[in-house]
This record gives sequence, structure tokens and C-alpha cells, in this order.
Amino acid sequence: MNTTFLLSATEQGVAWGDFIFYIVTFLILLALVKKFAWTPITDMMEKRATKISNDIDSAEQARQKAEELVEKRDLALKNSRSEASQIIDRAKKNGEQQKANIVSSAHEEVQTMKANAKKDIQQERQEALDSVKNDVAELSIEIASKIIRKELTADDQKALVDSYIEGLGKQNETR
Amino acid sequence: MNEGTQIVEFFGIPFNVGNIVSGLVSAVIVFVVLFWLSRKIQMKPVGRQNVLEWVVDFTNGIIKNALPDEEGKQFGLLAFTLFVFIFISNQLGLIIELTFNGVEYVKSPTSSPLTTLTLAFMILVLSHYLGVKKFGFKGYFKNTFLSPMPALLPISIFEQFTNFITLALRLYGNIYAGEVLLKLIYNMANSKGVLTYIPAIPLEIIWQGFSVFIGSIQAYVFVTLTMVYISQKVEKE
Repeated sequence: MNTTFLLSATEQGVAWGDFIFYIVTFLILLALVKKFAWTPITDMMEKRATKISNDIDSAEQARQKAEELVEKRDLALKNSRSEASQIIDRAKKNGEQQKANIVSSAHEEVQTMKANAKKDIQQERQEALDSVKNDVAELSIEIASKIIRKELTADDQKALVDSYIEGLGKQNETR
Repeated sequence: MNEGTQIVEFFGIPFNVGNIVSGLVSAVIVFVVLFWLSRKIQMKPVGRQNVLEWVVDFTNGIIKNALPDEEGKQFGLLAFTLFVFIFISNQLGLIIELTFNGVEYVKSPTSSPLTTLTLAFMILVLSHYLGVKKFGFKGYFKNTFLSPMPALLPISIFEQFTNFITLALRLYGNIYAGEVLLKLIYNMANSKGVLTYIPAIPLEIIWQGFSVFIGSIQAYVFVTLTMVYISQKVEKE
């Protein structure tokens, strides 16, 4: 029992070769672990860390882009709305103008038609007056001739009547 | 605990065969396991890679507690290898205990004080070397020995030795005691035949489970203290 206490002291003294052996073993183990396990795994962990941070950055960028797009879309929507109201306004104005045009042109037409009708009426009246005038003249002549004929002979009267009748027929033809 | 040791002289240097074989076995196991875990490394970790990454994260976390990030990065490999090696060494004796002709050939390498003293010595030398490298010899001396006040110089010097000794003997004591108790239970099982054999089985199982726990804790503690000692030398107090 006491031979193995502390420092493995035996009758032959301390086995200090173990000391060298463990240092060498541990250093070799350190080198091997570094080459085969430590470097690959830490490299990969580092790579993953950078990849994750890159992913976060790109996600942030994508989010910003999406926000921009939404803003653009909203703006376009607003624009299109105002444009639509403009178009409606213009159409209304056009309609109003057209209405006014039509009404005014109708007015004018009516006016001219009225004027024409008035002119026609005037003309007709004139013509009627003229014909009445003629008739009156003829009638007065007839009356006058009738009065005159009473003092004529039968023969003369007959001739006169004949001529008158003749004249009537001619007059009728000319009318 | 009554097994003898076989000392072989090689170029006039005495080697303890049992110690060397078990150290070699655990080093080989560490390498094979890590080699196996680190095959087919992908961006998206699956299966074995997750285990390895978990261990790496764990040891990096230990470093982070003691040292600032940019300084701690260079000790990642040391902490990782140290942790895995000590962990496997602690568990080795619980799984295999090979005794041949009264000479123990395979056991926990850390149940020998020489092994733990070697590791602690390595850490001690490394930490002082890093201190000198960083501040120059004058700055290192000031930072390490005269730092809170010059009057504490003897205590500071003494502290270096206690650090070294406690670091080594804490690990050795825990693992050695665990193995001693395992052997005691084994001896008890054999002492009175079936009568003691059967109750010894659950006892052995319980103690083995507890030793696994102790081995893990000690590996963690060793690496943590390593990083603390290194940080004491390379950080201005």
C-alpha cells in the first residue's frame, strides 16, 4: 500500500518515464485531434455562423424590398384612383358640354324653323291678300261692267256675256 | 489496490508499464472516438456531428467563463482535448480493469498521481510561459507575484505550488478513491461466496454510476481550473 503512495514511489524509485510518456502522448493526441477533429468541426461551425448571419442579413434585405414594393403598390393604387376620378370628371364635363351643344343647336334649329314658319305664313298671307285684291278688283270690274251692260243692247249684251264667259275660262286656265 | 506494478527500464529511464498501457489505451480511445465522430461533417449537423459539436460548445463555454472571447479562442483545442482525455481516462478504469499475474495493466490512467501531476505540470508551465510571452518577464513577474501588493510575494509564490499540487491531487484522489472502493466491493463479493456476492452486485452498480458522475465532474473541474490559472497569468488583475 505505502509503496504506491504518491508519485508511484517504489523500491526502484519514481517511474519518471511515465512523466515523459504522458507529455509526449498528450502532445501527439493534441496534434492528431487538431488535424482530424478540431479543425474540421470548428471550421464548419464558423462557416455555419457566418452563413446564419448572412441569411439574417439577406432576410432583412428581402423584408426591406417587400416593404418598398408594398409602398410602390400603394402609391400606384392611389395614382390610379385619382386618375380614374379624373377620367370620370372629364367624361362628365364632356357630357355636360355635349348636352349644352345639343340643347343650343336644338334651340337654334327651333328658332330657324320658327322663323321659316313665320316667313311662310307671311308669304301665304301676302299671297292670299294679293289674290283677294285681284278678286276684289275683278269683282268691282264685273260690277262695274254689269252696271254698264244695263244700258247696252241685247246683242251687245250677248256679245259681252260671251266674251266674259270666255274670259273666265281663260282666267281659270291661267290660274 | 494490492496489485503490484511492473517497472521496465528503457534507456535507463524507468517506465511503469501499467500506467503507460492504460494511458496509451485511453489516448487511442479518445482519438478513435473523435475520429469517428468527425466523419461526414456537414453544414447541417446530423447524428454524430451533433455530439461532437455539443462537446466543443461545452468546452468553449468553460473557456468563456474564465477568459475574454478573442483571447480564449486559442485555448479551445487544449480545453477540448484535455476534457475528452481526462473524461475517457476517468471512465476507463470503471469499464476495464485488467490485472495479469498480479500486475495491473489497464486502469484509469488518472488514478495514478504521476499522470495527474504530469498534466498539472504541463498546465503550470504553459500558463507561466503564456504570462511571460504576453507581458515580458518583468511584467509577468509583477502581474503574477506582486499584483495586489508586493508584501504578498511569499504567499503568491507559495500559491503557485499549491495550485499545481491541488490541481493534480484533486483529480488523482477522486479517481483513485473511486477505484479503491470498487475493488473493496469486489473483494467483499468474493469473501463469503454467494452470501456476499449477490448484495455486492447492486452496490457495485451504484458505486460505478456514482464514479461515472465523479469522473465527469472532475474532468470539468480540471479544465475549468486550467482556464482559471491560465487567465490569472495572462489577464491584468
